[in-house]
Amino acid sequence: MDESVEHLRDEILERIGRCASESEVEQLRVDALGRKGQLTQLLRGLKELPAEDRPKVGEQLNQFRRLAEERIEQRLVSLKAEARARMLSGEKVDITLPGSRWERGRIHPLTLAMDEIIDIFLGMGFEVARGPDIEDDYHNFEALNMPKDHPARDMQDTFFVSQNRVLRTHTSPVQIRTMERRKPPLQVIAPGAVYRHDDDATHSPMFHQVEGFMVDRRITFADLKGVLTHFLRQVFREDAGVRFRPSFFPFTEPSAEVDIACVICGGKSSTSNQSSCRVCKGSGWLEILGAGMIDPEVFRFVGYDPEKVSGFAFGMGVERIAMLKFGIEDIRMFFQNDLRFLRQFR
Amino acid sequence: MKLTLNWLKEFVAFSGSPQQMAELLTMAGLEVESLAPVSSPEDQQDDWALEVAVTPNRGDCLSIQGLAREVAALRGAKLKAKATASPFAAARAEAPVKVEIRSPRCCRRYSAAVLDSVQVGASPAWMRFRLETCGIRSINNVVDVTNYVMLETGQPLHAFDLDRLGAKRIVVRQAAEIGKFVTLDEVERELAPEDLLICDGDVPVALAGIMGGRDSEVHAGTPALLLESAHFEPLTIRRTAKRLALHSEASHRFERGVDAEGTIYALDRAASLLAQVAGARPAGRVVDRYPRRAKAASILLRRQRAQDILGVELSAGEIEKILKSLGCKVQRRGKGAFQVAPPSARGDLSREADLIEEIARLRGYDKIPPTLPVARLHGERADARLRGERAMRSYLAGEGLTETIHLPFSSAELNRRFYGFHRDGAAAVAVLNPLVQESAEMRLSLLPGLIEDFKLNLAQRVKGFAGYALGKVFSLSPEGEPRERQQLAALVYGKRERTGLRVEPAPYSFLTAKGLVEGILEQVGIGERVAWTNSAVPAFLHPGQSACLELDQRTVGYVGEIHPDLSEGLSLPRYGVLELDFEGLVQYPPSQITVRSLPRFPSVERDMAVVVDESFQARRIIDWIKSLGHSLIENVEVFDHYRGANIPAGKKSLAYTISYRAEDRTLTDGEVQALHQELLSQMSGLFDAQLRG
Repeated sequence: MDESVEHLRDEILERIGRCASESEVEQLRVDALGRKGQLTQLLRGLKELPAEDRPKVGEQLNQFRRLAEERIEQRLVSLKAEARARMLSGEKVDITLPGSRWERGRIHPLTLAMDEIIDIFLGMGFEVARGPDIEDDYHNFEALNMPKDHPARDMQDTFFVSQNRVLRTHTSPVQIRTMERRKPPLQVIAPGAVYRHDDDATHSPMFHQVEGFMVDRRITFADLKGVLTHFLRQVFREDAGVRFRPSFFPFTEPSAEVDIACVICGGKSSTSNQSSCRVCKGSGWLEILGAGMIDPEVFRFVGYDPEKVSGFAFGMGVERIAMLKFGIEDIRMFFQNDLRFLRQFR
Repeated sequence: MKLTLNWLKEFVAFSGSPQQMAELLTMAGLEVESLAPVSSPEDQQDDWALEVAVTPNRGDCLSIQGLAREVAALRGAKLKAKATASPFAAARAEAPVKVEIRSPRCCRRYSAAVLDSVQVGASPAWMRFRLETCGIRSINNVVDVTNYVMLETGQPLHAFDLDRLGAKRIVVRQAAEIGKFVTLDEVERELAPEDLLICDGDVPVALAGIMGGRDSEVHAGTPALLLESAHFEPLTIRRTAKRLALHSEASHRFERGVDAEGTIYALDRAASLLAQVAGARPAGRVVDRYPRRAKAASILLRRQRAQDILGVELSAGEIEKILKSLGCKVQRRGKGAFQVAPPSARGDLSREADLIEEIARLRGYDKIPPTLPVARLHGERADARLRGERAMRSYLAGEGLTETIHLPFSSAELNRRFYGFHRDGAAAVAVLNPLVQESAEMRLSLLPGLIEDFKLNLAQRVKGFAGYALGKVFSLSPEGEPRERQQLAALVYGKRERTGLRVEPAPYSFLTAKGLVEGILEQVGIGERVAWTNSAVPAFLHPGQSACLELDQRTVGYVGEIHPDLSEGLSLPRYGVLELDFEGLVQYPPSQITVRSLPRFPSVERDMAVVVDESFQARRIIDWIKSLGHSLIENVEVFDHYRGANIPAGKKSLAYTISYRAEDRTLTDGEVQALHQELLSQMSGLFDAQLRG
């Protein structure tokens, strides 16, 4: 009896090991452990045995049954794993094939640059204001301390649409319009298109500016320097060299031109003399902003008391900043809208 | 202003390099735009040419001596003066000319001198070299000296041939009835009555401060000269120069302000140079008419105010030192104030703010440490328009459209063809001084710009093009007032690009263009408020494939294919466009989002297909089903539109899907079936529609 049990056990365990599919395993389970299975038959035969042998043999048979069940489960698990592994290896793809997707549209590089500029100022607590592209002489010139026949008007070649109306030559009139409407404190930027009677590789008859100004009690030139230095280091690099030098605008005093160290040669070409950098023309610096303390005359035009408030204003060309950031050499590229150009922007 | 370094060094000591000089001037607001070594061909003298961009407020720096004063002030250096003995000091007699200023408002001062024994000829090489380096052509020794002295002192001079002044009586007056005058460039100039003239008796001999006359010009045989050294009012000169588009070195300086106190010095300097290079001798004393002496400005400067504007501490001593270095007379007024009288050359210094700027400038902008102001919180929400534009751009990029930006100029021809929303023929805004005739008007529509881009990119053989523009269009109101409006337009053509293994996407059609508009409206949040119509679509669109969008009885958009006549006319393939009144759409607050609770029971979908006349509008069945207001009908959509095999000519098949749902239970098949059948039988009765399969 012992021997036949052992024999049967070895045979069943060996067959489990040979099963090549889940169905074979199930068949074997029926054959061995089912109602008419071999092991079941043996268990049924227990009652034929002498009473004193039954516990021992019974225990042997039950051990055998548990072992068989365990091996069957194990075999099923490993068969499933093998099957899944075969399936997976059969479905292997060439990961170097291109992904499939719709081509996205692009946002214009000027918008990208404009948005970056706007966001830096929004982060500093500035608001956005807008004004008309067709301006009257008063807001574009007069109230900015540029009376008729002022030589400073020559600095801005103007498109006229009527005797008294022009395509705004700068976004500064938004400064006037905002101050006419509201009282300080004000910290505002005004982005938009501006127009000059000019057309070549570095001048377009239309370009974009961001004007900004801050008016409150005791706003100083030192504040102007702080805000613009912070701004330029965010737009360009944290360690960008920034310099302020005296200049002239009729609507600010003191006035400043703000330069950054050349983004191409890093300002090196000014020291190494004649190895002239194409972008900064060897000066080592790039003019990037015009700025200054708002002239008391301008405050008088909008009905502010220059003894009570002070403020600064600045203006920058968005094309210029975009050209420097992206290495664009001809301003006209912006307005040709060649997809080969526009697709280069993310 | 061009100058040479050696010339400058004649007036101020400077031991640094040319680059250091350039840096010094640039950082003082006199930007050196170019710096180059030069050497005179004759005497091989090495020098440097500098070009300084002088801002319009600094007329005093349009001279070697003016720049020397700046360098002296910046470096604390001493000015070197030229020998001061006047060549006229020995003259006993009156000069043989009279001077009369009839317009003292326009001419503050007129100084004149007469020189004889003049030998007109070529200038010496050193003078020609300097003039030419400074951009002035050498004419003859007399004219060259007048220019040389102008460059050196900033005072424009003019030399008349004395023999050609018949009356020998200089009259400074407005042109009034004198209508014409021939300048020395042989151009006859039309005069305005207010133009200022220098006359000899009644005969005009110069356009004051701008250019001399042809008939009194110095020539090779001129034996005697009348030298003019005058002060004219900036506005007078500017108006005439501008009107005649006649700009000279003299007018440039007068427009920016010349020092009225410097006329005599300039005559002295010119007379001594003319003695040296042309053998000229003074004939009589200088005649000087000075009817309107400028009052010296006297400005109160408060130390506290300067500190408040600049944001730095300034000592009284420092302020005083800086102002004195500029030649100002400074008197202390009590504890923290000064009474300041600027030098006569600095006409630009008239207010406290001007002096504060000078303090910052001379001290150096780099000596003012940057600070960050304390911003005050404001209640303004981030600009709604900006947020709307950004959301729109990002939506359109996702839909495959690329943003384009155009110059807003157009032509009358294009405006007539693509009139945007101005079907009433609203007038375009004309540009009075366009760069070219093709850009003589402001655009009425964004389409022409997009069409231009389309053409350019087609030339690159693109398979598809989808671009949009978000920009302003301009028109005149019936009252003639310019109006501007922000619009959004797009142009779609061909197949949208896909990356990856090749699959052929469907080309853009009317429905994809309409889908874009719907997406835009959804983005703006006013989808439900607009109505589509195909009455009165613009003439530039395909009449069968176009629609207009209405909002509150106003047309706010159109979409469709460009009329084949127009695309063929421009040799373009067929393409779709849309244009929306963006400003009109975003002026409404977006509809409020109110969330519905999620359904608890499943819905059941049933499809139906009907055959109808070609002209039947699919929307009618949807409107009708919705109008029933049946509580178990949740939604109805059209999902197919078909013409062709199995459908009779003149007919089309439309397929709809209807979803049924109850809020409180799962609908049974039987219930839905009964409802659906009921709907179908009602519908075929109502519409001339045949149910399919």
